[in-house]
Amino acid sequence: MTDLAIIHRVLAGDTEAFARLVDRHYDRCARIAVRILGNHEDAEEAIQDAFLRAFRALGTYEDRERFSAWLTRILVNQCRTVRARVQRREAVFSDVDLRTADVQCGVESTEDTWPDLDHALAQLPAEQREAIVLRYADDLTYEEMARITGAGQSALKMRVQRAFARLRGLLQEVSHV
Amino acid sequence: MFEGELERRLARALRAPVPVSAHAKQSIMAEVRRAARDGAPRRMLPIPGGRTVRHSLLGVALAASIGSITTMSALRPTPNGGPETVHSSVIGDSVVDRVRDTLRLVRLIFDDSLAREVAVVGDFNAWQPGATRMQRDPGTQRWSVTLALRDGEHRYAIVVDETRWVTDGASKPSRDDGGRVFSLLHVARASN
Repeated sequence: MTDLAIIHRVLAGDTEAFARLVDRHYDRCARIAVRILGNHEDAEEAIQDAFLRAFRALGTYEDRERFSAWLTRILVNQCRTVRARVQRREAVFSDVDLRTADVQCGVESTEDTWPDLDHALAQLPAEQREAIVLRYADDLTYEEMARITGAGQSALKMRVQRAFARLRGLLQEVSHV
Repeated sequence: MFEGELERRLARALRAPVPVSAHAKQSIMAEVRRAARDGAPRRMLPIPGGRTVRHSLLGVALAASIGSITTMSALRPTPNGGPETVHSSVIGDSVVDRVRDTLRLVRLIFDDSLAREVAVVGDFNAWQPGATRMQRDPGTQRWSVTLALRDGEHRYAIVVDETRWVTDGASKPSRDDGGRVFSLLHVARASN
């Protein structure tokens, strides 16, 4: 059953059908939110709020846009809201020392996991981090990213380039320790 | 590490599954059921021609300091695309009285009867979505907020339900260096 067919069922009064959308999109949302926010607790809060807002606003969804992209736009906005709240709550959160973190973590890096990556992502400005996560974690086009973030495509390309360059430096710094 | 290799590895790492709480999906559905009991999801109101009404930014009103006439000129898109003026109004002196004369009261009015929350973001509140919320008038169902701003140009946008970023339909939106879309609000003494 397509996302659109499920949406029609929900709008017809079958609330439980929404669970299929949650099942289908939760893992992708988790990848995005955890990478953008940097921790699971805040990510779960953002994801729950995003699904709830999507449910409430389902009547405004227009099928000119993929449901996944529409949901991602809501999720990114929720991540920004959570991030702003966390920043207000925690006036100072000390920078993670990459070399120390690497030693303490002790997780072996493999082809598909990269423990240093989370620490390196945490060093990026929020807009760069958001852009590079959307580009690589969800394989979005710049056109889709522009609709999701409200930023222009050229600005997004610049953010990804700068994030990529910064990550390369940070990750190489760690690997040389 | 070569750039192409770094990019491929970055993509693999970012697309790798992240562990999630076993009860996360159940928690979401519990909230969804609660929202459903409260009447969600809201349906769009159909109008003739198959289109749906979403919102319209009614406009901006500038209120000058005490002693001058406060005017509220607002623009509303009409079916033929042209703007129409909404009648002037007055913001009470008791409100103006508490504002220093270097600030002007600016009233923003926004029309979206389906919105649950509406906020204004802009230079004046550091673009924080929760900082300046608009209030719904129970009679007209319009959303409004009054801001105290200095003379000059202010960048701003409306955020609906924390999910939709809306700019003033009466003027062409602009973008800043970071690509953010915004409308411009010109604040100056209202002409009498």
